[in-house]
Amino acid sequence: MFEATLIYGLVNSVILALVALGFNLTFGISGVANFAYGAFYVTAGFLTWSGLNQLGLPFGVAAALAVLITALMGALMYRYLLLRLRGLVVSEVIATFGVGLALLELFRYLGFIGFEYTLPVMIDASVDIAGVVVDAQRILIVVVGASLAALLWVFTRHTRTGRAFRAIAQDEHTALTLGINTDRVATISVAFGAGYGAIAAVVILPLGTISVGEGYNVLVNALAVCIVGGLGSTVGVIVASLLIGYAQMITATYVDTHWMMIVSLVAILIILLIKPSGLFGQQKELEERI
Amino acid sequence: MLEVTGMMVFYENALAVNDLSLTVEAGQIVGVIGSNSAGKTTLMNTISGLILDLREKERRKGGERITVMGTVRFEDRDISDLPPHRRAEIGIVLCRERHPVFGDSTVLENLRIAGHLRARAEVKQAMDLTFELFPNLARYKRKKAGFLSGGEQQMLAIGMALVVKPRLLLLDEPLLGLSPAMQTTLVQAIKTVRQETGVTIVIAEQFARPILPMIDFGYVIENGMLTMTGSGQELMDNPEIKSAYFGH
Ligand SMILES: Nc1ncnc2c1ncn2[C@@H]1O[C@H](COP(=O)(O)OP(=O)(O)OP(=O)(O)O)[C@@H](O)[C@H]1O
Ligand SMILES: [Mg+2]
Repeated sequence: MFEATLIYGLVNSVILALVALGFNLTFGISGVANFAYGAFYVTAGFLTWSGLNQLGLPFGVAAALAVLITALMGALMYRYLLLRLRGLVVSEVIATFGVGLALLELFRYLGFIGFEYTLPVMIDASVDIAGVVVDAQRILIVVVGASLAALLWVFTRHTRTGRAFRAIAQDEHTALTLGINTDRVATISVAFGAGYGAIAAVVILPLGTISVGEGYNVLVNALAVCIVGGLGSTVGVIVASLLIGYAQMITATYVDTHWMMIVSLVAILIILLIKPSGLFGQQKELEERI
Repeated sequence: MLEVTGMMVFYENALAVNDLSLTVEAGQIVGVIGSNSAGKTTLMNTISGLILDLREKERRKGGERITVMGTVRFEDRDISDLPPHRRAEIGIVLCRERHPVFGDSTVLENLRIAGHLRARAEVKQAMDLTFELFPNLARYKRKKAGFLSGGEQQMLAIGMALVVKPRLLLLDEPLLGLSPAMQTTLVQAIKTVRQETGVTIVIAEQFARPILPMIDFGYVIENGMLTMTGSGQELMDNPEIKSAYFGH
């Protein structure tokens, strides 16, 4: 029992981190809180499902296409909607949440409800870790989560666009003076965030069903992790994922699985009361006037 | 090389730059001298194009209304409407007042970020030049720029500008907050940069004393208006300048 909680808690934490990574990435770089994130996640799931079942594509192709299309949707949303609202935080939240609601309710309207919307696991096997049976999909999730985090680290330090990410995250005006097209870089960051969310969806959704409700759950979980960790902080994402991930698993084991989502909401409330900037967040000073 | 004509900038109804015109010839070091709130930064922002971005962002937010009038010509081309990142592409590079570097990034990373527009080999070359000009920076390659002294940050900013390959280098108050000794070092470094690269330089400063001896031509501005022009020597000999900036 204890070993199981330990191992499944870790898997659950990685799932949370994976889900939050994309949201955090976009926020940390462009300052945009993408409330359509959960809807993008579900979109990637349904796109993969359609590719597989309606177009008959192989899983890899369907998944890759879904990730690309979702990333493109992120870019378009930024380019044609958010660009006009940059800096108006409340409007950004309302606009992205509106896009998310529209997408999710569109799926509901189109009849994407029911238990038949599932994605296949990639490897149908399981391994025995310290007497606990863990299926291969969960191990894959841990591997993908770690790889995506590592990839991001390498990307932001060793590529032109990645360095431009770091630059605009720190100071857009100074970035402009160096010839960095900040609007374009911010667009790419939103696309990246949406793409990361889509990758998360493709590896995590095989554990359950693709549903509209999952879109809301993912958004709440991503928000909880980012707010507890401190918006924009990668270390914060990891620590908060572990905290919330284990808290959820313990709740599920000893109380009831239905209470898992409550844990995220309670975590948000507690951190907002105690330390509103999050465990690792730096409250950004008001931008100095030029 | 650079020709600013009839420049007027309003923040709401406050006039920050008032009908200002100036010319910079290739290879010169030109000084823009003025006390606090004279309009130096506003002028530098109109040359670098940052003011267009500020205006746009304020407009989107429904914030402050910024009005810009007049023309900026660079190498016989009207660039008044060219956005700032495109101006960097054609060689106009600004080192911003007070926050010219990325504080959370290391010295090396700052220089690499600055290489956004350039090929890897060119970046390497410019970085070598920077470390040659500023040996201090070479010692702190892996230190976060935010932990460098003010003078070192300015040197890094100039190094970053060099990586962009400027034809026109704009320095906004590079001496701000520096000790007199550091000011002297930096002035020397700026002269060396000109010698080594032949880049044209415009410096905005309130400290006239260390700047005047190095400039080819100077513009004195007060309340956004041009009050005096002349060569560095002429300005140094001017009795009004002497009393205002040299405390005689
Ligand atoms: N964003 C802004 N909104 C409103 N007024 C501004 C803004 N920026 C500058 N000003 C005003 O415009 C005038 C010129 O300011 P500017 O910053 O260009 O002067 P400066 O010579 O660079 O001053 P300093 O030596 O303090 O840097 C000042 O009166 C200033 O208060
Ligand atoms: Mg200034």
